[in-house]
Amino acid sequence: MNPFEFEFMQRAFVACAVIAAVAPLVGGFIVQRGQSLVGDGMGHVAFAGVGLAFLVGAEPVLGALAFTALAGLLLVRMGRAGLAGDLAIALIFYGGIAVGYLLSSRADAGQTRLVGLLFGSPLNLTWSEVGIIVALSATVVAVTVALYPRLVAMAFDEQAARVAGVPTDRMTLALTLMVALVVVGGMSSIGLLLISAMMVVPVAAAAQLASSYKGALGLASAVGAASAVLGLLAAHYRDYAPGSAIVLVAIACYAVATAWRSLTRRAAA
Amino acid sequence: MPAPAPVCPLELDAVSFGYNRGLVLCDVSLSVGQGEFVAVVGPNGSGKTTLMKLGLGLLAPGAGQVRLFGEDVTSFRRWWQVGYVPQRAAARSALPVSVEEVVLSGLAARARPFRRRSPEATARIEHVVELLGLEGLRRSRLAELSGGQQQRALIARALVTAPRLLVLDEPTTGVDAGARTVLRGSLQHLVEVEGMAVVYVSHDPEGFSGLAQRVVEVDGGGIRVRDERPAPRSVATG
Repeated sequence: MNPFEFEFMQRAFVACAVIAAVAPLVGGFIVQRGQSLVGDGMGHVAFAGVGLAFLVGAEPVLGALAFTALAGLLLVRMGRAGLAGDLAIALIFYGGIAVGYLLSSRADAGQTRLVGLLFGSPLNLTWSEVGIIVALSATVVAVTVALYPRLVAMAFDEQAARVAGVPTDRMTLALTLMVALVVVGGMSSIGLLLISAMMVVPVAAAAQLASSYKGALGLASAVGAASAVLGLLAAHYRDYAPGSAIVLVAIACYAVATAWRSLTRRAAA
Repeated sequence: MPAPAPVCPLELDAVSFGYNRGLVLCDVSLSVGQGEFVAVVGPNGSGKTTLMKLGLGLLAPGAGQVRLFGEDVTSFRRWWQVGYVPQRAAARSALPVSVEEVVLSGLAARARPFRRRSPEATARIEHVVELLGLEGLRRSRLAELSGGQQQRALIARALVTAPRLLVLDEPTTGVDAGARTVLRGSLQHLVEVEGMAVVYVSHDPEGFSGLAQRVVEVDGGGIRVRDERPAPRSVATG
Protein backbone atom coordinates (compact mmCIF):
# COMPACT_ATOMS: atom_id res chain seq x y z
CA MET A 1 0.00 0.00 0.00
CA ASN A 2 1.26 3.46 -0.88
CA PRO A 3 2.09 5.17 2.45
CA PHE A 4 1.67 8.62 0.91
CA GLU A 5 -2.07 8.00 0.48
CA PHE A 6 -2.63 8.10 4.23
CA GLU A 7 -3.01 11.49 5.86
CA PHE A 8 -1.30 10.39 9.08
CA MET A 9 1.70 9.33 6.99
CA GLN A 10 1.68 12.62 5.11
CA ARG A 11 1.83 14.44 8.43
CA ALA A 12 4.66 12.21 9.60
CA PHE A 13 6.65 12.71 6.37
CA VAL A 14 6.32 16.50 6.51
CA ALA A 15 7.17 16.80 10.22
CA CYS A 16 10.09 14.35 10.23
CA ALA A 17 11.63 15.48 6.93
CA VAL A 18 11.49 19.14 7.96
CA ILE A 19 12.97 18.73 11.44
CA ALA A 20 15.54 16.17 10.23
CA ALA A 21 16.65 18.59 7.50
CA VAL A 22 16.97 21.49 9.93
CA ALA A 23 18.62 19.65 12.85
CA PRO A 24 22.00 19.22 11.05
CA LEU A 25 22.14 22.97 10.30
CA VAL A 26 22.47 23.54 14.04
CA GLY A 27 24.43 20.32 14.53
CA GLY A 28 27.13 21.52 12.15
CA PHE A 29 28.09 24.22 14.62
CA ILE A 30 27.87 22.17 17.82
CA VAL A 31 29.89 19.30 16.31
CA GLN A 32 32.58 21.75 15.22
CA ARG A 33 32.67 23.19 18.76
CA GLY A 34 33.09 19.71 20.25
CA GLN A 35 29.64 19.81 21.89
CA SER A 36 28.00 16.91 20.09
CA LEU A 37 26.16 15.79 23.22
CA VAL A 38 24.59 19.13 24.10
CA GLY A 39 21.45 18.26 22.12
CA ASP A 40 21.12 15.03 24.08
CA GLY A 41 21.38 16.95 27.33
CA MET A 42 18.80 19.47 26.15
CA GLY A 43 16.45 16.57 25.44
CA HIS A 44 16.83 15.50 29.09
CA VAL A 45 16.03 19.03 30.27
CA ALA A 46 13.05 19.29 27.91
CA PHE A 47 11.65 16.17 29.54
CA ALA A 48 11.48 18.04 32.86
CA GLY A 49 9.43 20.75 31.14
CA VAL A 50 7.14 18.12 29.63
CA GLY A 51 6.67 16.57 33.08
CA LEU A 52 5.70 19.91 34.59
CA ALA A 53 3.32 20.58 31.68
CA PHE A 54 1.62 17.24 32.32
CA LEU A 55 1.29 18.08 36.00
CA VAL A 56 -0.33 21.50 35.44
CA GLY A 57 -2.30 20.50 32.35
CA ALA A 58 -0.37 22.68 29.92
CA GLU A 59 0.86 21.87 26.40
CA PRO A 60 4.03 19.71 26.62
CA VAL A 61 5.68 21.77 23.88
CA LEU A 62 5.38 24.92 26.01
CA GLY A 63 6.92 23.23 29.04
CA ALA A 64 9.77 21.86 26.92
CA LEU A 65 10.38 25.26 25.31
CA ALA A 66 10.48 27.06 28.66
CA PHE A 67 12.83 24.57 30.30
CA THR A 68 15.25 24.24 27.39
CA ALA A 69 15.40 28.01 26.98
CA LEU A 70 16.12 28.41 30.70
CA ALA A 71 18.74 25.66 30.57
CA GLY A 72 20.32 27.37 27.56
CA LEU A 73 20.56 30.68 29.40
CA LEU A 74 21.93 28.95 32.49
CA LEU A 75 24.59 27.08 30.50
CA VAL A 76 25.77 30.25 28.78
CA ARG A 77 25.93 32.11 32.12
CA MET A 78 27.83 29.24 33.68
CA GLY A 79 30.20 29.27 30.73
CA ARG A 80 30.88 32.99 31.21
CA ALA A 81 31.51 32.42 34.90
CA GLY A 82 33.83 29.51 34.16
CA LEU A 83 31.45 27.08 35.87
CA ALA A 84 30.33 25.09 32.81
CA GLY A 85 32.47 22.10 33.69
CA ASP A 86 31.62 18.59 32.65
CA LEU A 87 30.16 17.72 36.07
CA ALA A 88 27.97 20.83 36.35
CA ILE A 89 26.49 20.23 32.91
CA ALA A 90 25.89 16.55 33.71
CA LEU A 91 24.05 17.52 36.90
CA ILE A 92 21.70 19.80 34.98
CA PHE A 93 21.04 17.26 32.25
CA TYR A 94 20.54 14.20 34.48
CA GLY A 95 18.56 16.27 36.94
CA GLY A 96 16.29 17.16 34.01
CA ILE A 97 15.37 13.61 33.12
CA ALA A 98 14.95 12.65 36.77
CA VAL A 99 12.62 15.58 37.45
CA GLY A 100 10.80 14.89 34.19
CA TYR A 101 9.99 11.32 35.11
CA LEU A 102 9.12 12.25 38.68
CA LEU A 103 6.63 14.91 37.55
CA SER A 104 5.22 12.74 34.77
CA SER A 105 4.56 9.87 37.15
CA ARG A 106 2.90 12.25 39.62
CA ALA A 107 0.73 13.54 36.76
CA ASP A 108 -0.14 9.98 35.72
CA ALA A 109 0.77 10.85 32.13
CA GLY A 110 0.72 7.24 30.93
CA GLN A 111 3.63 5.14 29.70
CA THR A 112 2.56 5.19 26.04
CA ARG A 113 2.54 8.97 25.94
CA LEU A 114 5.91 9.20 27.69
CA VAL A 115 7.54 6.65 25.40
CA GLY A 116 6.10 8.54 22.43
CA LEU A 117 7.77 11.76 23.57
CA LEU A 118 11.08 10.13 24.41
CA PHE A 119 11.38 8.03 21.24
CA GLY A 120 9.00 9.79 18.86
CA SER A 121 5.50 9.03 17.62
CA PRO A 122 5.24 10.80 14.26
CA LEU A 123 2.25 8.74 13.15
CA ASN A 124 0.11 10.33 15.87
CA LEU A 125 0.79 13.97 14.98
CA THR A 126 -2.01 16.40 14.21
CA TRP A 127 -1.72 19.07 11.52
CA SER A 128 -1.47 21.76 14.20
CA GLU A 129 1.49 19.91 15.74
CA VAL A 130 3.07 19.67 12.29
CA GLY A 131 2.52 23.42 11.95
CA ILE A 132 4.40 24.04 15.22
CA ILE A 133 7.30 21.86 14.02
CA VAL A 134 7.46 23.72 10.70
CA ALA A 135 7.32 27.11 12.47
CA LEU A 136 10.12 26.17 14.90
CA SER A 137 12.19 24.83 12.00
CA ALA A 138 11.63 27.98 9.95
CA THR A 139 12.80 30.08 12.90
CA VAL A 140 15.98 28.01 13.17
CA VAL A 141 16.66 28.35 9.43
CA ALA A 142 16.10 32.12 9.51
CA VAL A 143 18.45 32.60 12.50
CA THR A 144 21.07 30.32 10.96
CA VAL A 145 21.02 32.25 7.68
CA ALA A 146 21.12 35.61 9.47
CA LEU A 147 24.02 34.68 11.74
CA TYR A 148 25.81 32.25 9.42
CA PRO A 149 29.12 34.13 8.93
CA ARG A 150 29.47 34.77 12.68
CA LEU A 151 28.50 31.24 13.64
CA VAL A 152 31.04 29.81 11.20
CA ALA A 153 33.79 32.11 12.47
CA MET A 154 33.02 31.21 16.09
CA ALA A 155 32.69 27.48 15.44
CA PHE A 156 35.96 27.37 13.55
CA ASP A 157 38.05 29.33 16.05
CA GLU A 158 36.32 31.07 18.96
CA GLN A 159 39.29 33.13 20.13
CA ALA A 160 40.14 34.38 16.66
CA ALA A 161 36.47 35.23 16.17
CA ARG A 162 36.47 37.26 19.40
CA VAL A 163 39.53 39.18 18.30
CA ALA A 164 37.84 39.79 14.94
CA GLY A 165 34.95 41.44 16.81
CA VAL A 166 32.38 38.63 16.70
CA PRO A 167 30.18 38.81 19.84
CA THR A 168 30.88 35.20 20.76
CA ASP A 169 28.84 35.25 24.00
CA ARG A 170 25.73 36.29 22.10
CA MET A 171 26.44 33.80 19.32
CA THR A 172 26.83 31.01 21.90
CA LEU A 173 23.48 31.97 23.40
CA ALA A 174 21.83 32.04 19.97
CA LEU A 175 23.29 28.64 19.12
CA THR A 176 22.16 27.13 22.44
CA LEU A 177 18.64 28.47 21.94
CA MET A 178 18.59 27.04 18.43
CA VAL A 179 19.52 23.64 19.87
CA ALA A 180 16.58 24.05 22.25
CA LEU A 181 14.22 24.85 19.34
CA VAL A 182 15.35 21.79 17.41
CA VAL A 183 14.93 19.55 20.46
CA VAL A 184 11.42 20.85 21.06
CA GLY A 185 10.61 20.64 17.35
CA GLY A 186 11.78 17.04 17.20
CA MET A 187 10.18 15.99 20.48
CA SER A 188 6.95 14.47 19.25
CA SER A 189 8.21 13.36 15.84
CA ILE A 190 11.64 11.76 16.33
CA GLY A 191 11.75 11.84 20.13
CA LEU A 192 13.52 13.77 22.87
CA LEU A 193 16.22 11.13 23.21
CA LEU A 194 16.75 10.61 19.47
CA ILE A 195 16.51 14.07 17.92
CA SER A 196 20.03 14.94 19.05
CA ALA A 197 21.29 12.10 16.86
CA MET A 198 19.85 13.93 13.86
CA MET A 199 21.93 16.99 14.79
CA VAL A 200 25.11 14.97 14.80
CA VAL A 201 24.99 11.86 12.58
CA PRO A 202 24.08 13.53 9.25
CA VAL A 203 26.84 16.08 9.89
CA ALA A 204 29.35 13.30 10.51
CA ALA A 205 28.27 11.62 7.26
CA ALA A 206 28.45 14.83 5.22
CA ALA A 207 31.88 15.71 6.65
CA GLN A 208 33.26 12.60 4.92
CA LEU A 209 32.25 13.82 1.48
CA ALA A 210 32.06 17.62 1.40
CA SER A 211 34.97 19.97 0.77
CA SER A 212 33.55 23.10 2.38
CA TYR A 213 31.61 24.06 5.49
CA LYS A 214 28.63 25.28 3.51
CA GLY A 215 28.70 22.15 1.37
CA ALA A 216 28.84 19.96 4.48
CA LEU A 217 25.83 21.69 6.04
CA GLY A 218 23.82 21.42 2.82
CA LEU A 219 24.69 17.76 2.36
CA ALA A 220 23.97 17.02 6.04
CA SER A 221 20.55 18.61 5.68
CA ALA A 222 19.83 16.41 2.65
CA VAL A 223 21.05 13.30 4.51
CA GLY A 224 18.80 14.21 7.44
CA ALA A 225 15.70 14.62 5.25
CA ALA A 226 16.44 11.45 3.27
CA SER A 227 16.96 9.49 6.50
CA ALA A 228 13.58 10.69 7.75
CA VAL A 229 11.77 9.61 4.58
CA LEU A 230 13.55 6.24 4.34
CA GLY A 231 13.12 5.60 8.08
CA LEU A 232 9.40 6.31 7.87
CA LEU A 233 9.08 4.02 4.85
CA ALA A 234 10.84 1.29 6.82
CA ALA A 235 8.50 1.94 9.73
CA HIS A 236 5.49 1.70 7.42
CA TYR A 237 6.47 -1.45 5.54
CA ARG A 238 8.35 -3.33 8.28
CA ASP A 239 6.51 -2.01 11.34
CA TYR A 240 9.67 -0.58 12.91
CA ALA A 241 9.62 2.16 15.56
CA PRO A 242 9.79 5.33 13.37
CA GLY A 243 12.21 7.40 15.47
CA SER A 244 14.65 4.53 15.80
CA ALA A 245 14.38 3.67 12.09
CA ILE A 246 15.17 7.27 11.10
CA VAL A 247 18.28 7.42 13.29
CA LEU A 248 19.48 3.99 12.13
CA VAL A 249 19.14 5.03 8.47
CA ALA A 250 21.24 8.13 9.26
CA ILE A 251 23.88 5.93 10.90
CA ALA A 252 23.85 3.69 7.80
CA CYS A 253 24.43 6.83 5.69
CA TYR A 254 27.43 7.65 7.86
CA ALA A 255 28.83 4.12 7.40
CA VAL A 256 28.38 4.32 3.62
CA ALA A 257 29.96 7.80 3.46
CA THR A 258 32.93 6.66 5.54
CA ALA A 259 33.45 3.58 3.36
CA TRP A 260 33.15 5.70 0.21
CA ARG A 261 35.72 8.20 1.44
CA SER A 262 38.08 5.42 2.42
CA LEU A 263 37.74 3.79 -1.01
CA THR A 264 38.23 7.02 -2.94
CA ARG A 265 41.28 7.89 -0.83
CA ARG A 266 42.83 4.51 -1.53
CA ALA A 267 42.10 4.84 -5.22
CA ALA A 268 43.72 8.29 -5.27
CA ALA A 269 46.82 7.09 -3.38
CA MET B 1 50.87 73.81 17.16
CA PRO B 2 52.70 70.54 17.88
CA ALA B 3 51.59 67.40 16.03
CA PRO B 4 49.55 65.00 18.16
CA ALA B 5 51.53 62.11 19.63
CA PRO B 6 51.15 58.94 17.55
CA VAL B 7 48.74 56.44 19.03
CA CYS B 8 50.32 53.12 19.93
CA PRO B 9 48.51 50.11 18.47
CA LEU B 10 49.23 48.15 21.66
CA GLU B 11 50.11 49.24 25.19
CA LEU B 12 50.33 47.25 28.38
CA ASP B 13 50.68 49.43 31.43
CA ALA B 14 51.85 47.83 34.72
CA VAL B 15 49.94 44.64 33.93
CA SER B 16 49.89 41.67 36.30
CA PHE B 17 48.16 38.38 35.73
CA GLY B 18 48.05 35.05 37.50
CA TYR B 19 46.34 31.72 37.32
CA ASN B 20 45.51 29.66 40.41
CA ARG B 21 49.11 28.57 40.76
CA GLY B 22 50.34 32.13 41.17
CA LEU B 23 51.44 35.17 39.23
CA VAL B 24 52.55 34.56 35.65
CA LEU B 25 53.24 38.20 34.81
CA CYS B 26 54.01 40.90 37.35
CA ASP B 27 53.94 44.65 36.66
CA VAL B 28 54.74 44.37 32.96
CA SER B 29 54.74 47.42 30.71
CA LEU B 30 55.19 47.28 26.97
CA SER B 31 54.15 49.37 24.00
CA VAL B 32 54.26 48.53 20.33
CA GLY B 33 54.34 51.42 17.89
CA GLN B 34 52.96 51.71 14.38
CA GLY B 35 55.24 50.07 11.82
CA GLU B 36 57.17 48.23 14.52
CA PHE B 37 58.01 44.52 14.51
CA VAL B 38 58.28 43.15 18.04
CA ALA B 39 59.20 39.54 18.73
CA VAL B 40 58.11 37.94 22.01
CA VAL B 41 60.25 35.02 23.12
CA GLY B 42 60.63 32.83 26.17
CA PRO B 43 60.67 29.23 27.31
CA ASN B 44 57.52 27.13 27.40
CA GLY B 45 55.22 28.24 30.20
CA SER B 46 57.02 31.56 30.65
CA GLY B 47 53.88 33.56 29.91
CA LYS B 48 54.48 34.81 26.37
CA THR B 49 51.12 33.51 25.09
CA THR B 50 49.48 34.92 28.23
CA LEU B 51 51.07 38.30 27.47
CA MET B 52 49.67 38.15 23.96
CA LYS B 53 46.19 37.13 25.13
CA LEU B 54 46.16 40.00 27.63
CA GLY B 55 47.06 42.36 24.81
CA LEU B 56 44.13 41.09 22.73
CA GLY B 57 41.60 41.23 25.55
CA LEU B 58 41.24 37.44 25.60
CA LEU B 59 42.34 37.49 29.25
CA ALA B 60 41.57 40.19 31.80
CA PRO B 61 44.55 41.46 33.82
CA GLY B 62 44.47 41.23 37.59
CA ALA B 63 46.08 44.68 37.73
CA GLY B 64 47.13 47.31 35.22
CA GLN B 65 45.65 48.44 31.94
CA VAL B 66 45.74 47.26 28.34
CA ARG B 67 45.07 49.71 25.53
CA LEU B 68 44.53 49.10 21.82
CA PHE B 69 45.00 52.20 19.66
CA GLY B 70 44.75 54.34 22.77
CA GLU B 71 41.48 52.84 23.99
CA ASP B 72 40.99 50.52 26.94
CA VAL B 73 40.73 46.98 25.58
CA THR B 74 37.49 46.32 27.48
CA SER B 75 35.70 49.10 25.63
CA PHE B 76 37.57 48.71 22.32
CA ARG B 77 35.20 48.05 19.40
CA ARG B 78 37.31 48.69 16.27
CA TRP B 79 38.44 45.09 16.08
CA TRP B 80 38.96 45.24 12.31
CA GLN B 81 42.15 47.13 13.15
CA VAL B 82 43.53 44.00 14.81
CA GLY B 83 44.54 40.77 13.08
CA TYR B 84 45.23 37.64 15.08
CA VAL B 85 46.88 34.45 13.85
CA PRO B 86 46.54 31.75 16.53
CA GLN B 87 48.63 28.64 16.73
CA ARG B 88 47.80 26.38 13.81
CA ALA B 89 46.54 23.68 16.19
CA ALA B 90 43.52 25.92 16.73
CA ALA B 91 42.65 25.45 13.07
CA ARG B 92 41.82 21.75 13.45
CA SER B 93 38.32 21.26 12.16
CA ALA B 94 35.80 18.46 12.60
CA LEU B 95 34.01 19.67 9.51
CA PRO B 96 35.64 20.37 6.16
CA VAL B 97 36.40 24.03 5.68
CA SER B 98 37.76 25.54 2.49
CA VAL B 99 40.54 28.12 2.33
CA GLU B 100 38.08 30.70 1.01
CA GLU B 101 35.73 30.09 3.95
CA VAL B 102 38.60 30.52 6.40
CA VAL B 103 39.59 33.83 4.83
CA LEU B 104 35.98 34.98 4.67
CA SER B 105 35.45 34.23 8.37
CA GLY B 106 37.81 37.13 9.13
CA LEU B 107 35.06 39.46 7.88
CA ALA B 108 32.29 37.81 9.92
CA ALA B 109 31.94 40.65 12.42
CA ARG B 110 31.19 43.11 9.63
CA ALA B 111 28.78 40.85 7.71
CA ARG B 112 25.18 42.09 7.74
CA PRO B 113 22.32 39.61 8.12
CA PHE B 114 20.63 38.60 4.85
CA ARG B 115 22.97 40.85 2.83
CA ARG B 116 25.26 39.77 0.03
CA ARG B 117 29.00 40.33 0.37
CA SER B 118 29.98 43.87 -0.57
CA PRO B 119 32.29 44.56 -3.55
CA GLU B 120 34.83 46.03 -1.09
CA ALA B 121 34.88 42.79 0.90
CA THR B 122 35.30 40.75 -2.27
CA ALA B 123 38.17 42.99 -3.38
CA ARG B 124 39.82 42.64 0.02
CA ILE B 125 39.56 38.85 -0.14
CA GLU B 126 41.09 38.87 -3.61
CA HIS B 127 43.92 41.07 -2.35
CA VAL B 128 44.92 38.89 0.61
CA VAL B 129 44.52 35.65 -1.35
CA GLU B 130 46.93 37.05 -3.93
CA LEU B 131 49.28 38.50 -1.29
CA LEU B 132 49.61 35.12 0.43
CA GLY B 133 49.81 33.15 -2.82
CA LEU B 134 46.61 31.19 -2.21
CA GLU B 135 44.97 31.70 -5.62
CA GLY B 136 45.02 28.05 -6.62
CA LEU B 137 43.95 26.79 -3.21
CA ARG B 138 40.75 28.72 -2.58
CA ARG B 139 38.45 25.70 -2.80
CA SER B 140 40.87 23.26 -1.16
CA ARG B 141 40.08 21.71 2.21
CA LEU B 142 42.25 23.37 4.83
CA ALA B 143 42.99 20.06 6.54
CA GLU B 144 44.50 18.64 3.34
CA LEU B 145 47.05 21.44 2.89
CA SER B 146 50.64 21.53 4.11
CA GLY B 147 51.49 23.30 7.37
CA GLY B 148 52.82 26.32 5.51
CA GLN B 149 49.74 26.61 3.31
CA GLN B 150 47.45 26.35 6.35
CA GLN B 151 49.44 29.07 8.07
CA ARG B 152 49.14 31.33 5.04
CA ALA B 153 45.37 30.81 5.04
CA LEU B 154 45.18 31.83 8.72
CA ILE B 155 47.31 34.90 8.06
CA ALA B 156 45.08 35.80 5.11
CA ARG B 157 42.08 35.60 7.46
CA ALA B 158 43.80 37.95 9.88
CA LEU B 159 44.70 40.41 7.12
CA VAL B 160 41.36 40.50 5.34
CA THR B 161 40.11 43.44 7.43
CA ALA B 162 43.26 45.46 6.61
CA PRO B 163 44.38 45.63 10.26
CA ARG B 164 47.02 48.00 11.61
CA LEU B 165 48.18 45.54 14.26
CA LEU B 166 48.96 41.89 13.49
CA VAL B 167 49.60 39.39 16.29
CA LEU B 168 51.00 35.97 15.39
CA ASP B 169 51.33 33.07 17.85
CA GLU B 170 54.05 30.54 16.93
CA PRO B 171 53.50 31.04 13.21
CA THR B 172 56.35 28.81 12.03
CA THR B 173 55.56 25.71 14.08
CA GLY B 174 55.35 22.75 11.70
CA VAL B 175 56.10 24.93 8.69
CA ASP B 176 58.73 23.91 6.12
CA ALA B 177 61.72 26.08 5.19
CA GLY B 178 60.22 27.27 1.89
CA ALA B 179 57.03 28.41 3.57
CA ARG B 180 59.04 30.20 6.28
CA THR B 181 60.79 32.21 3.57
CA VAL B 182 57.44 33.17 2.03
CA LEU B 183 56.12 34.12 5.47
CA ARG B 184 59.17 36.30 6.20
CA GLY B 185 58.74 38.09 2.88
CA SER B 186 55.05 38.74 3.57
CA LEU B 187 55.73 40.09 7.07
CA GLN B 188 58.55 42.31 5.81
CA HIS B 189 56.18 43.76 3.20
CA LEU B 190 53.47 44.37 5.82
CA VAL B 191 55.80 46.22 8.18
CA GLU B 192 57.98 48.15 5.74
CA VAL B 193 55.48 48.92 2.98
CA GLU B 194 52.10 48.94 4.75
CA GLY B 195 53.39 50.27 8.10
CA MET B 196 51.68 47.55 10.09
CA ALA B 197 52.65 46.83 13.69
CA VAL B 198 53.53 43.17 14.16
CA VAL B 199 53.78 41.19 17.41
CA TYR B 200 55.42 37.85 16.71
CA VAL B 201 55.30 35.28 19.53
CA SER B 202 57.73 32.43 19.00
CA HIS B 203 60.37 30.28 20.62
CA ASP B 204 62.16 30.05 17.27
CA PRO B 205 64.40 33.08 16.54
CA GLU B 206 64.92 32.05 12.92
CA GLY B 207 61.43 33.26 12.06
CA PHE B 208 62.05 36.87 13.12
CA SER B 209 65.80 37.46 13.06
CA GLY B 210 66.59 40.39 10.81
CA LEU B 211 62.94 41.51 10.94
CA ALA B 212 62.38 42.29 14.62
CA GLN B 213 63.23 45.78 15.84
CA ARG B 214 62.83 44.69 19.43
CA VAL B 215 62.89 41.32 21.13
CA VAL B 216 60.87 40.96 24.32
CA GLU B 217 62.00 38.09 26.48
CA VAL B 218 59.38 36.83 28.93
CA ASP B 219 60.72 34.95 31.92
CA GLY B 220 60.21 34.76 35.67
CA GLY B 221 57.07 36.92 35.59
CA GLY B 222 58.81 39.90 33.97
CA ILE B 223 60.12 40.99 30.60
CA ARG B 224 63.48 42.12 29.23
CA VAL B 225 63.49 44.22 26.08
CA ARG B 226 66.39 44.18 23.63
CA ASP B 227 66.74 46.54 20.68
CA GLU B 228 67.68 44.67 17.51
CA ARG B 229 67.61 47.33 14.81
CA PRO B 230 66.36 50.92 14.40
CA ALA B 231 62.66 51.46 14.85
CA PRO B 232 61.95 54.89 13.37
CA ARG B 233 58.22 54.89 14.07
CA SER B 234 58.22 52.94 17.28
CA VAL B 235 57.59 53.88 20.86
CA ALA B 236 60.12 51.82 22.75
CA THR B 237 59.55 51.25 26.41
CA GLY B 238 60.00 48.20 28.50
